[in-house]
Amino acid sequence: MKKRWPITILYRAFSSSTTSTTASFPLKHVKKSNFDSALSSLRHHVQAADFVAIDLEMTGITSAPWRDSFEFDRFDVRYLKVKDSAEKFAVIQFGVSPFRWDPLKQSFITHPHNFFIFQRQELPLDGAAYEFLCQTTSMDFLAKYQFDFNACIHEGVSYLSREQEDKALKHVNSTYEDESLDSWHSLKEIRDTHLFNIPDILFAERMKDRLSEWLGGLLRNRDGGSEVQPSFNDSKQQFETIFFKMRPAISLNGFTSHQLLLIQLVVRKHFKDLAYLRVSGENSCSQNVIVYIESESDKKMLMKEVKDEQKIDAEMSIKASIGFRHVIDLLSSEKKLIVGHNCFLDIAHIYSKFFGPLPLTAEEFISSVNKYFPHIIDTKILLNSNSILQQRMKKSSTSLSKAFSVLCPQIALGSKSTHLALQPSVKVEVEVDDIRSSNWNSGVKHEAGYDAFMTGCVFAQACSHLGIDFKQQSSSENLAHNEKLREHVNLLYLSWTNGEIINLSTGNRTSESLASNKRKNHYPKILFECIVIVWGFPSHLKAWDIRECISKVYGPTSVISVYHVDETAVFVQFSRAEMVSKFLDLKGSLDRNNDPISVLHPLAKLLEGGNTCAASYETYKEICSSTVSKVLFADQAKAVGIKWKTKLVESSDKTKEHESLRKVKAVNSDPSCGERTKNKNFDDVSNDSSYSQLSSDEIIDSFYTREAKQI
Amino acid sequence: MVPQFKPSPLRIRFFCTKTVQQNHHHRWPIKQITKTNFNESLSEIKNHISSSDFIAVSLQNTGSFSSPWHCVSTFDTPDTAYLKAKFAAERFQILQFAICPFKLQASKVIAYPYNFHLFPRDELKMGMPSYSFTCQTSYLTAMAKEGFDFNTCIYDGISYLSEAQESAAKVRMGNPMAVDHATKSSSSPALSVADTVFIERVRSRVKHWKNACTDSDIKTEAALVTSLRKIVLGGEQFGSRPSMTIDVCSERQVQLVLKMLEDFSDVLVPLIIPAKGGGTQAVRAVLTSSDEDKDLLKRELQTFEFEQNKRVRGFREVIDLISASQKPLVAHNSLNDFTFIHSKFLAPLPPNMNEFICSLRLAYPQVIDVNYLLKDIGPVKKMTNISATIAYLKNRFFAPIEMEIPNQANENEGKIHGHNVVKICQLFGKLCSILKITPDAIESSDDFLASAINRYTNIFYSLPGSSQEPTNEEIRGWTNDKRKVSCEDVVFLWGFRERISAGILKNMLQGSHEVFAEAFNVRMVDRSCAIVVFGKPGLSNTFKNVMNSKAVSGPLREMVSDGLKAAGYETYQRVCSSGLWESALADALDKTLASHNCLSEAAYETKQSEIYLSNELINLAEL
Repeated sequence: MKKRWPITILYRAFSSSTTSTTASFPLKHVKKSNFDSALSSLRHHVQAADFVAIDLEMTGITSAPWRDSFEFDRFDVRYLKVKDSAEKFAVIQFGVSPFRWDPLKQSFITHPHNFFIFQRQELPLDGAAYEFLCQTTSMDFLAKYQFDFNACIHEGVSYLSREQEDKALKHVNSTYEDESLDSWHSLKEIRDTHLFNIPDILFAERMKDRLSEWLGGLLRNRDGGSEVQPSFNDSKQQFETIFFKMRPAISLNGFTSHQLLLIQLVVRKHFKDLAYLRVSGENSCSQNVIVYIESESDKKMLMKEVKDEQKIDAEMSIKASIGFRHVIDLLSSEKKLIVGHNCFLDIAHIYSKFFGPLPLTAEEFISSVNKYFPHIIDTKILLNSNSILQQRMKKSSTSLSKAFSVLCPQIALGSKSTHLALQPSVKVEVEVDDIRSSNWNSGVKHEAGYDAFMTGCVFAQACSHLGIDFKQQSSSENLAHNEKLREHVNLLYLSWTNGEIINLSTGNRTSESLASNKRKNHYPKILFECIVIVWGFPSHLKAWDIRECISKVYGPTSVISVYHVDETAVFVQFSRAEMVSKFLDLKGSLDRNNDPISVLHPLAKLLEGGNTCAASYETYKEICSSTVSKVLFADQAKAVGIKWKTKLVESSDKTKEHESLRKVKAVNSDPSCGERTKNKNFDDVSNDSSYSQLSSDEIIDSFYTREAKQI
Repeated sequence: MVPQFKPSPLRIRFFCTKTVQQNHHHRWPIKQITKTNFNESLSEIKNHISSSDFIAVSLQNTGSFSSPWHCVSTFDTPDTAYLKAKFAAERFQILQFAICPFKLQASKVIAYPYNFHLFPRDELKMGMPSYSFTCQTSYLTAMAKEGFDFNTCIYDGISYLSEAQESAAKVRMGNPMAVDHATKSSSSPALSVADTVFIERVRSRVKHWKNACTDSDIKTEAALVTSLRKIVLGGEQFGSRPSMTIDVCSERQVQLVLKMLEDFSDVLVPLIIPAKGGGTQAVRAVLTSSDEDKDLLKRELQTFEFEQNKRVRGFREVIDLISASQKPLVAHNSLNDFTFIHSKFLAPLPPNMNEFICSLRLAYPQVIDVNYLLKDIGPVKKMTNISATIAYLKNRFFAPIEMEIPNQANENEGKIHGHNVVKICQLFGKLCSILKITPDAIESSDDFLASAINRYTNIFYSLPGSSQEPTNEEIRGWTNDKRKVSCEDVVFLWGFRERISAGILKNMLQGSHEVFAEAFNVRMVDRSCAIVVFGKPGLSNTFKNVMNSKAVSGPLREMVSDGLKAAGYETYQRVCSSGLWESALADALDKTLASHNCLSEAAYETKQSEIYLSNELINLAEL
């Protein structure tokens, strides 16, 4: 996309703001037009900064209701959900606010930047379309906060991830290396067959004459110096003599593509000292030229020259499309302390948009993130895990705006609140385009630049409460290494819902201890091996009915809890792990038999309709890992390709028993049948590469059990 | 550049940019409709629809296909084409819906174009009309270039619910419904003892409550006593009137309660509170002070329901108007547009083309695709662009069409979108005049029109309108190839090196096996997969068999060892029907083969062959 949006609009937008009586928080809004200048100034600010606060606005959070965060999410499932969200939704605004302590002013100086970003397909290299998902409620939410979608889509800064850049560069390299003679050959063979009809032959003859005339004139001109001009004035527009790479050449204009092909053919067949070239000229439109060459080596030189130039052009355009990623590269290379608020999803977005595809497991993700961003602090964790700060927060919610207004009232209210400064507070000044201000109106919440600013202020204030004295802090020392902060660095909420925290530098997971008293635990301790997921049951059954139904079979204490994933699926947590396989076995046999006994069975109510499926927690994980997102869980399971109704599980102590059973089975039964069905199980699993070998063994085992039971 | 701001309490983002005004689009006044002027425009639209001959429709969506092979192409059968269109309709969103009721008079088209800005806002907080939708950046960028105002669309777009969603929403909202006479069962059910006990208990409760409410003495009581009484008696307020909720366990009890409440019909109005999962949750009796008050309440309920329905349906009001008018609809890419319309405004899309057409016909009996009319004119090169088609016709035929658009000038100047719909009208007018479906005939006899138009009606898939031009010059030879090709002669090939051209692939195949000694053609479907069309029937099977046998030898063996794979058309059909929309067709084919192997092969195979034997021939003439 070479065409730029006229700057006048932007100018109008800015100028209108001058005259309007509305004033707002001083934010540097960055779009396509002012990106380059903003980037260079941001570079200095980041280099000088003590920490950089960030915030992202996305087009959505969950691609389906059942992908929401639940207390029943194991950490790996939680990661899969975050991964799904980061892969599907787009980032449309990116707030970056570098904070620097100014010892003279005894205050922080920050430069809040609000980047509008929108990934456009600027390179014609990748065939796949660029697309993203929008969650309607999120879009509506953004609209409520007056988000400027026009600024984003019309003028947002585009970007390429590192992976996309590598791919594009590789592609360029291979095309310019590949385009050796073989592609020419293949062209020729097919072209030759075209010269059958009379008009084509006549046209080719005419072109041949004209070219030799031009060539003749050229040679005469050089040798004799006579002033004879090429005589085809009638076609001057079509044949324009130019100089191409210091060589005389004809630029071909106004021919159809078929005619150009014929000309190309004529040149190759009849003129050894002419070369046909197709070069991308200015304005990205391609230009067809016939160049005079002195010798074969001259031709080679010319070709190389052209090819190199084109390659450089292509590489330049790739470099030019990196766009917003320069900001991320800057943050990464400067190794500054990154501050976010509940930012695990933000980090996942940054990874998938600007580095490459998200790894399949949380462990790999964490270790790579740690390489790119060695120091991250999450203010939400900071506020919840430190008792001093909890006290300061007066047990209020730790949402960003709440934390901001509780911890930094003097900043939140601007200058009007100087009398409030009874508590020791960190001063923050905002500088945008070399204009400093220390009083302002409150900005718009959920605008990334302002949210980043708030996050930074909350962090600065929290540090001061923790006893970090910025006056003592030397500017060369990295804030992340401060011993009062050390225990908080690189901790992120994997899931805020169940307070699971992951340490990015060690990969350890811990459950939140301090905050647990604040958060009411509705659910008993969750043991994933005791959980069965059931879906596709009759829609009128509610959690209570399902619990009652299962309790009838296994007794009133057998079911710990029943939790709705969505209206089509529930988690059932049993009191003991072995009940999972018992339940699935029973359900499996009820599925198969349709005799009166199974119809009267207490579970029959649950199985009514014949679409009820059940499986262990692992299947839930497998379904979460799919890239498909159907709104209802039952539809999702179908879309993932689940065709069975019950997936049995094996407890580890039984495996050996079945090992022998399997051998017997293999001997007794028709081997081809066994082979085929075995393949099936493998295929079910092989759809999902993240699935471990272990689990596919489990499934095979379970299959054999099922078969054994059928006998 | 940013000046220092004076403080002000307003919190509006003033950087919101205005979209560019594009002068060359000012030709036709097309009325732009958003949430703000929707209601006031409805009656006008209704008039234009009822007085029109045809209604042209045109949609602006957020995308069409994600990978090259997802695009409906010439090698698709109607069913695979439908599945592709369905996949797109389910994922992408309509942002603009242009309709244009028009009349044909001699060589004049009188058109009343409207362009509706839509946004699927979740007005009821129920995840409807759509939880999420996909956007293709190229589509959004293209819209941006035309000066589309996304802020207007998202802030002020009209929402909607499909028919199916509306009925689901009504149940879930649980709004009280007035009892109409149909729900009152006329026959008095035989009463059991339990019934009698139930009725009497409820009757006494109602009586107590009614007396308590009407007794004037009580009004002097202290507030505490009043509220206590309320709790004891189960009284509530319904609007400004006192009401009482009677819980019921079955539909029979509903009938019993309603019957019993008839005894109080002078002052009590029964309302039914629906349960979330369907059925009835409770009956609510509302106390009115007089007969006039009772009528007032009934009217209030009616208007409430009416307003709510209107709010819920949103843009579907227009869709319903069009449907109710039963006027023939004119579209440019009907398969694409009507899969979208069906999925957004009627109900989820059925699994196959036939059911889709049946279902659609109930709402829209006549749909005319201008692309199909075009085909009758002669060997027109496929044109995706309406303007190009109009220009083409202009050069070839003398059929001047005068466009008259009597709409009043648009108030929101500079944001005129939806020109395509007018172009469709113009094109349709031209085509009618060229094809001698003359406007005179239309006026003189409706029957003639019907028969003339019927030839072109409801053909959703003949040759798809949106196929890409072949990207490789090498397959030019196909242009002269006018014969139709049976699906049976088509083999999908994949597993070769990426970015190979069809020509090179053909060369490679030519010497590899004797089946390629006969005439055959190769075309790339996407970067990962190609189709081979055999000229001689039966060769495709030979080839597939060779590929799967151990006897494969020579250069072909070399290619197979390098990963070359082949599958027949039925595998491709299975890819489309199983919804394996991988970004590369090769991956989708591989996955389908993998999951196919696990099923008992025999059963599936015979079923499949029947389907594809009955397949229509596909025309590869215009590749």
